[in-house]
Amino acid sequence: MATPNRGETVQKQIQQDWLNREYIEIITISIKKITDFLNSFDLSCRSKLAGLNEKLTILERKIDYLEACVTKGETLT
Amino acid sequence: MAGNDRVSLNDALSNVEVLDELPLPDEQPCIEAQPCSVVYQANFDTNFEDRNGFVTGIAKYIEEATVHASLNELLDEGQEHAVMLYTWRCCSRAIPQPKSNEQPNRVEIYEKTVEVLAPEVNKLLNFMYFQRKAIERFSQEVKRLCHTEKRKDFVSEAYLLTLGKFINMFAVLDELKNMKSSVKNDYSTYRRAAQFLKVMSDSQTLQESQNLSMFLATQNKIRDTVKENLEKITGYEELLADVVNICVHMFETKMYLTPSEKHMLVKVMGFGLFLMDSELCNINKLDTKKKLRLDKIDRIFKNLEVVPLFGDMQIAPFNYIKRSKHFDANKWPLSSSNTPSPQADLMVHLPQIREDHVKYISELSRYSNEVTTTYKECGSDTENKETAELALRGLQLLSEWTSVVTELYSWKLLHPTDHHQNKECPKEAEEYERATRYNYSDEEKFALIEVIAMIKGLQVLMARMETVFTDAIRRNIYAELQDFVQVILREPLRKAIKNKKDLIRSIIMSVRETCADWPRQFQPDQDPVLKGKKDPDTGFVIKVPRRNVGPSSTQLYMVRTMLESLIADKSGGKRTLRKDIDGQYLIQIDQFHKTSFYWNYLLSFSEFLQKCCDLSQLWYREFYLEMTMGRRINKCTVRHHHNEECNDLITMEKRIQFPIDMSMPWILTDHILKTKEPSMMDIFLDKRFRVECQAIGAYLMPYPRANRYETLLKQRHVQLLGRSIDLNKLITQRINADMQKSLDLAISKFEAGDITGVTELDGLLQVNRLCHKLLSFVGPQHFHTMCKLLGYQGIAVVMEELLKIVKSLIQGSLLQFTKTLMEAMPKICKLPRYDYGSPGVLGYYHAQLNDIVQYPDARTELFHNFREFGNIILFCLLMEQALSQEERVKNWKSNKKRLESKYQALQIVPNIEKLGTAKQAMISREGDLLTRERLCCGLSIFEVVLNRLRSFLDDPVWVGPPPTNGVMNVDECTEFHRLWSALQFVYCIPVSENEYTVEELFGEGLHWAGCTMIVLLGQQRRFEALDFCYHILRVQRVDMKDEVVKRINLKRMVDRIRRFQVLNSQIFAILNKFLKSGENDELSVEHVRCFPPPIHPSLNPQQHYHAPEHLRQC
Repeated sequence: MATPNRGETVQKQIQQDWLNREYIEIITISIKKITDFLNSFDLSCRSKLAGLNEKLTILERKIDYLEACVTKGETLT
Repeated sequence: MAGNDRVSLNDALSNVEVLDELPLPDEQPCIEAQPCSVVYQANFDTNFEDRNGFVTGIAKYIEEATVHASLNELLDEGQEHAVMLYTWRCCSRAIPQPKSNEQPNRVEIYEKTVEVLAPEVNKLLNFMYFQRKAIERFSQEVKRLCHTEKRKDFVSEAYLLTLGKFINMFAVLDELKNMKSSVKNDYSTYRRAAQFLKVMSDSQTLQESQNLSMFLATQNKIRDTVKENLEKITGYEELLADVVNICVHMFETKMYLTPSEKHMLVKVMGFGLFLMDSELCNINKLDTKKKLRLDKIDRIFKNLEVVPLFGDMQIAPFNYIKRSKHFDANKWPLSSSNTPSPQADLMVHLPQIREDHVKYISELSRYSNEVTTTYKECGSDTENKETAELALRGLQLLSEWTSVVTELYSWKLLHPTDHHQNKECPKEAEEYERATRYNYSDEEKFALIEVIAMIKGLQVLMARMETVFTDAIRRNIYAELQDFVQVILREPLRKAIKNKKDLIRSIIMSVRETCADWPRQFQPDQDPVLKGKKDPDTGFVIKVPRRNVGPSSTQLYMVRTMLESLIADKSGGKRTLRKDIDGQYLIQIDQFHKTSFYWNYLLSFSEFLQKCCDLSQLWYREFYLEMTMGRRINKCTVRHHHNEECNDLITMEKRIQFPIDMSMPWILTDHILKTKEPSMMDIFLDKRFRVECQAIGAYLMPYPRANRYETLLKQRHVQLLGRSIDLNKLITQRINADMQKSLDLAISKFEAGDITGVTELDGLLQVNRLCHKLLSFVGPQHFHTMCKLLGYQGIAVVMEELLKIVKSLIQGSLLQFTKTLMEAMPKICKLPRYDYGSPGVLGYYHAQLNDIVQYPDARTELFHNFREFGNIILFCLLMEQALSQEERVKNWKSNKKRLESKYQALQIVPNIEKLGTAKQAMISREGDLLTRERLCCGLSIFEVVLNRLRSFLDDPVWVGPPPTNGVMNVDECTEFHRLWSALQFVYCIPVSENEYTVEELFGEGLHWAGCTMIVLLGQQRRFEALDFCYHILRVQRVDMKDEVVKRINLKRMVDRIRRFQVLNSQIFAILNKFLKSGENDELSVEHVRCFPPPIHPSLNPQQHYHAPEHLRQC
């Protein structure tokens, strides 16, 4: 192979640039996938937490009811 | 992680891949437009920062890139100033003014005023400097390009477009400055205070302040300065004509993507012509010289009378023309006429939009099915190309629809209604209300809702496929670019070298060197092309590589501009390069240049997807607020004969915001809720859900659900204006509070009255109870509770009782009906050949089954009995499901407890035997048998139930006499499944409008009953193969006919058949799943291997089984 002249060096660099950009692209795609995951994780967590919240509210209401029953008995006597 | 723990790239990537497999259930139907908390957009636009890397490019275009970079920065800065002006709210109104010169705290007030306003005023100063700088820069560029030598040279499309963007920026900034009186008021307040305090002491500051106040006070200052500066440059009008022409060209050939780009082109045409028309230059003359095409522009201006300028500000581009010096109405026949613009009529566009939507959605779903079913690392070149084109078309459609919406909205804002045109509009309606609330007919509101639903729905679908799209896009762009550069460009290069066309050769070489990704790092120097020679006979093979990456923004710009210089057909009188290139190569280069225009958009797919669907404009109202100062005139509201005195009561209320009910989104929502149009509710509530279901191929009930708020009630997180809302919780809270309040009220009413009120109290309590009952629907939770309360024993007892009912049904009335109907059945009923056509087949069956169709009790007694039977089966199935879930929970808790409970359950029997009556003992013993089976053998209750049901079907009527041919009955109508086919024929006949369909009357229980009996009798395969309705469906699928046979609409009938076929096969599959586990060979009648009818993959019912809660109750 002949000694690389300036044109060839540039071409080499451009080729290297393609390679680098492809690498960056791969990382970007992966970050994108992570973001997608985080988003669906977020939604899933929200709905699960909402479910939990609902259960807690129900329990609270039950406690309210029980408390009301108990205190009523006390105040009446 | 420790520092020396290194993760390799492959590990990291596979870690990311694994994330995909984590199940993240979200149990709510999607009704939103692309919900996301984190948005990730990678921006690879370097704004030419990397231009020096491409030294192999032509130096001139690298220089041009430098200019571009700085111009783009100015444009960005301009955008910031525009936002600053648009969002400016009056400060001085809120600042107290000293009432007299004697006021003691006067100095303090002024000091505070200066302190508060100084940062704001600083922004205005910066704005003034900016516009000065920008105008100077712009004039400089124009001057440079208008130089006589430079004029001969070619100016690239990108360059002209950037100049166009500048013109647009000036127009926007000028209009914003004109409109914002609050800016001027605030500044004069500041100036008064500053002058009083003598803050501005030196002459320079004073001058500056003077300049600023002049700048703010002079209307059209920016516009006039630009015009003034330009007129000093000789030949500027030719350059501007180029800019205007390129805008016309791009507008006509749809070389834009987002709605704002489209509107920018139109604004540039208007403002550009206005700038050109002066003492020295007459645009009408340019038109006669064919340097401009005013007729084309006239048409564009008519089609788009009003374009959005900024936020809710609008502009009529034709007004610029009207204000120009040489305006001649004859040159503008369309724009001058009074006929309404097509922009104002949404209805004209609607049919086309609908058609495009349906077409595109079906194409997209077909594609998405392909992607999900066949996993590939990467598609072939053609596949990638198709996908990239699909993505581009989707973006273009979205942009088109968004344009239609925003253009209508803009037009309406500029053409408010009044009480003459719209009877609904009250006389005293506010300005903004007249532009929005009262300015749309019902029809228009529905159409708007529909279009918006399409936009948002498609956006969600496309966003979900983003990874697939972008992957294909990058691969496609890379392949096209490299193929073009490395292969296609060889021929013109060879020719140029051979013919010694040095300029062309150097341009092509530059293009190749700038972006070729040579497989062996550099251009193969043995390529004969480089010497202008022919390829050897064996051919010269170049293996172009493939990658998953697009060109960088600068690279793409360089390549496109250099190619453009090759094919440009005008370059100011000089001989064009075009002439020296062969026609076929020109076409190829031209084609590449055209396609690559859209690459920038495609490479930033997610960004442009969002921009194409941006309807936030509907929320903006700063302009109207500024204009009307949010004023509302309150008049005397007392109902009497108004007189002079009433005038004193008129007050002016100044608000900082319009009420929300004047905003478009609210108006549309309100309209949906008010009119209660079911199909619209649908579109609004679960249109997206439906579209999505269609896209993944799931089957969806086409008839409305009993409770159409179901979807809404399931929403646990809805994104609304940046917040996430738990709709379910909010509604629960409110309903709870309301119920409590109503109970409270009932009790306090009772307490306040006498004892007779107790009846009333009871009544009120009953009302509340009824309300509570109506609010709750049967669902999985009820079955869970039943399981918990009943326990194994209880369930067994209940099931035993249910089985008794079924037994009496099957062996009583159902058997009776079957016997009667079997007589009415035709003895032989063939499957007619396809040659008769579907109408013929339908007619044949209708005649054959006439007795059954006419049978009076079918719809009442018979179906009712089947429904009861089916509901019992469904009940058992749901109990089974609830029970196994409960068990899983228990299992998880501890195995021990389960054993204990088992022993407890067992001990009940002897206890009851000792203490209870004989009947109780028997029940408990039987029940115990069932549960013990379940516990010991792991059998499912449902299976036991099914087997018990099978034992009830012992009458010979169900199976009929054995087949005469010894194999099976084909045409004979002796078995039960033939009767069910006949009944299916009856209920598949579509009903007229006022009648109820069979599913509305009986729900799914009916089908469950029929299918269960068929399965238990082992007639499923024969049913599926020989059913009358299925046959009609098969034939109709072939000939696709649609006629009315004996007052039956064939198409509608076939649609119903298809629906029930899917339902039936679902039921069959569930039943078979339970029966499989204890497959009993003696009972399976079929020894012949049967193949089920092929089911289209898009209708694969499997997907439905994961959601048994979708099974309807009745």
